[in-house]
Amino acid sequence: MSDIVLRVEDVWKSFGDLQVLRGISFDVAESEVKVIFGPSGSGKSTLLRCINYLDPPDKGEIYLRGKRLGDPDTDINKIRSRIGFVFQHFNLFAHLKAIDNVAIGPEKVLGLSKEEARERAMRALKHVKMDKWADHYPAQLSGGQQQRVGIARALAMETDVILFDEPTSALDPELIGEVLQTMLDIAKEGTTMVVVTHEMGFARSVADEMIFIDGGVIVERGTPHHFFTSPESERVQQFLHKLDELYGQTRDERRTIAERDQE
Amino acid sequence: MMSSPASPSIGPLGIEEWVGELAAGLGMTLYLYFTALIIGFALGLLLALARQYGGRISSRIATGYIDLIRGTPLLAQLFLIYTMPYSLNAWLSPDGPPVINTRWSFQLLGLTYLNFPILASIVALGLNSAAYQAEYMRGAMASLGTGQVLAAQSLGMTKHEIFRYVIIPQAFRRMIPSWSNEASYLPKYTVIATFVSVEDLFGKAKLVVARTFLALETYILVGVVYLILITIIARILDKLYEKTKIPGL
Amino acid sequence: MQGPDIPRLFAVIMERGVPAALQITFFGLGLGLLAGLSLALMRVYGTAPMRTFAELYEKTLRGIPVLVLIYIFTFGVPGLFWFVDPLSRPIVGAYVALGIRSAAYQSQIFRGAILSVGEGQVLAARSLGMTNFQAQVYIVLPQAFKIALPAWSNEYAVVIKDSSFASDVGVFEILKVSLNITASDPRLWLPAMLVVTLIYFIFTYPVTRYFGKKGGGMAQVGREIVWQ
Repeated sequence: MSDIVLRVEDVWKSFGDLQVLRGISFDVAESEVKVIFGPSGSGKSTLLRCINYLDPPDKGEIYLRGKRLGDPDTDINKIRSRIGFVFQHFNLFAHLKAIDNVAIGPEKVLGLSKEEARERAMRALKHVKMDKWADHYPAQLSGGQQQRVGIARALAMETDVILFDEPTSALDPELIGEVLQTMLDIAKEGTTMVVVTHEMGFARSVADEMIFIDGGVIVERGTPHHFFTSPESERVQQFLHKLDELYGQTRDERRTIAERDQE
Repeated sequence: MMSSPASPSIGPLGIEEWVGELAAGLGMTLYLYFTALIIGFALGLLLALARQYGGRISSRIATGYIDLIRGTPLLAQLFLIYTMPYSLNAWLSPDGPPVINTRWSFQLLGLTYLNFPILASIVALGLNSAAYQAEYMRGAMASLGTGQVLAAQSLGMTKHEIFRYVIIPQAFRRMIPSWSNEASYLPKYTVIATFVSVEDLFGKAKLVVARTFLALETYILVGVVYLILITIIARILDKLYEKTKIPGL
Repeated sequence: MQGPDIPRLFAVIMERGVPAALQITFFGLGLGLLAGLSLALMRVYGTAPMRTFAELYEKTLRGIPVLVLIYIFTFGVPGLFWFVDPLSRPIVGAYVALGIRSAAYQSQIFRGAILSVGEGQVLAARSLGMTNFQAQVYIVLPQAFKIALPAWSNEYAVVIKDSSFASDVGVFEILKVSLNITASDPRLWLPAMLVVTLIYFIFTYPVTRYFGKKGGGMAQVGREIVWQ
């Protein structure tokens, strides 16, 4: 891994008196999958929003392929069109069919013709196995299906990196599998991804690096192997233990999906 | 042809020969309704956008306007507008010719379609309806939530694009059920034009009563006409809602 | 040339016009409360014909301009209020017209409020051995009144504003008084109307604002009630 796609440099963010992020730094290389995890309220979602300036950081810099986001002469909308975002609650446009949800970005933001945009959208929907549902409205789809459309929406923009903000945590347990499968597929195809998730099965099978955040700082970072065999800090050990207690069984099931896929 | 109370009536109500007059009044009522609805819609949309998405100052102004309109009677608003030129004339030129002319009128094919009283009525109804329409629109905008706006931002859409492709198309559909209330009941409020001697449906009814003394029949008939008008508009808007509803929602 | 004496205009209109406006509001709202509550109970708990009647009543009275109703109850049936002094007949006509119209709206307000209390609590009350009537009086209505308060304060504002229509049948309320005392001097027309607007605002805004913020579950955006 050589090329740095995304550089996060000493990012600080507070909301009123609440200091949410206290100096977070990391790099994301081409085709890398970075998994960020940690207890709720640790600032993970805020970090993702800082990265594409939906919530501009108070201090620190974000670089996308060497270009500084906070620069007065960079058009933040242009930059955002090169950073995909998949939301916890999908946030699909309620008035548009699945295909139009995916096509609207390429058409209106990237300036593709209507036909090109729809073609590209259809390819993205096929990619997430939602092409059969192209003419359905979000409210007619299950949560898992909606999230796959959400992923297709990010894919169709052909971005440099896609950020995932707890993409499965709003889903019913039986719908999580299909979304994780989609994410595994695109990870293996070399998509650069930053994923905030508690799905340790997913992390184990595709993460290049995992970052544990607590209290707004990076507590520990390393490969999945490191975290699942010899985590150093006590906080990480406790957290992983808790995850195991809460989700142990379902997690195992999901791991089998992931492992089966790896073979 | 003039009628007198003594002339034999030609139908059970006794006011059948005045139907033409009442129909002309109904035409004026519909005219007031549509113009006021359109003005109210355009201004209401601006107010709603200012209140929901505007900066601190524009949102304050919009809120103040809406509160002021909702806190005072439509009739008082009409008189405020209507008396304005008369008072200004009296102050500015007590003895000379009036500074602001109030006697103009535009006519076509024998019908007056605009003069000062009609204009004052349309403006009062439009400014008034705007405040109520704005509130219904804002409710619809608020119900959209922030998730979709964030998603649009993350695609790189500009503020303008987000309004045009995400907020406006949904807000319009979402507001139809509540906005229908204002749109279908607005005809009722056009009766205020009678107070400044516009010959709308109710104004014509008063004329008919003055000539026939058949007050109860006439007023009930006119009441029923308003009722039918409002019912028809409500039906049409219901159909429109069904047609534009987002499937699955 | 000197400016209009606004404080004096204000004082005169308050003294001579406001009492009639408040009377109309009081009796209109009161009549509307009695009839509206009955209609609401008919719609929620009544037999099918009662429900149909109440629904039809609401639709009809909401669809007719209040000015037409006022004319029907004054000039439409001149002898209707034979038992009151002829000079007071117009204002009594206004009470009744605004009252029966307000009943249609109040019925909707209370129906929504009663329904939002929910069946579960009625079942719980019945399981304690309460009669249906007791469940209504002790459990449902106290909550319904509270929930209805914001919408009801809006209805108060509607009635007091619409009392201005009574000016057209010769009731000396706010508008009529201000038009009368300034009739001979066009210079005062506009200032008088500004004062009139101010007076109405004083009587409506604080009330709707205070009770509107008490926030029941009921939308009360405008002059026509909206259910969500």
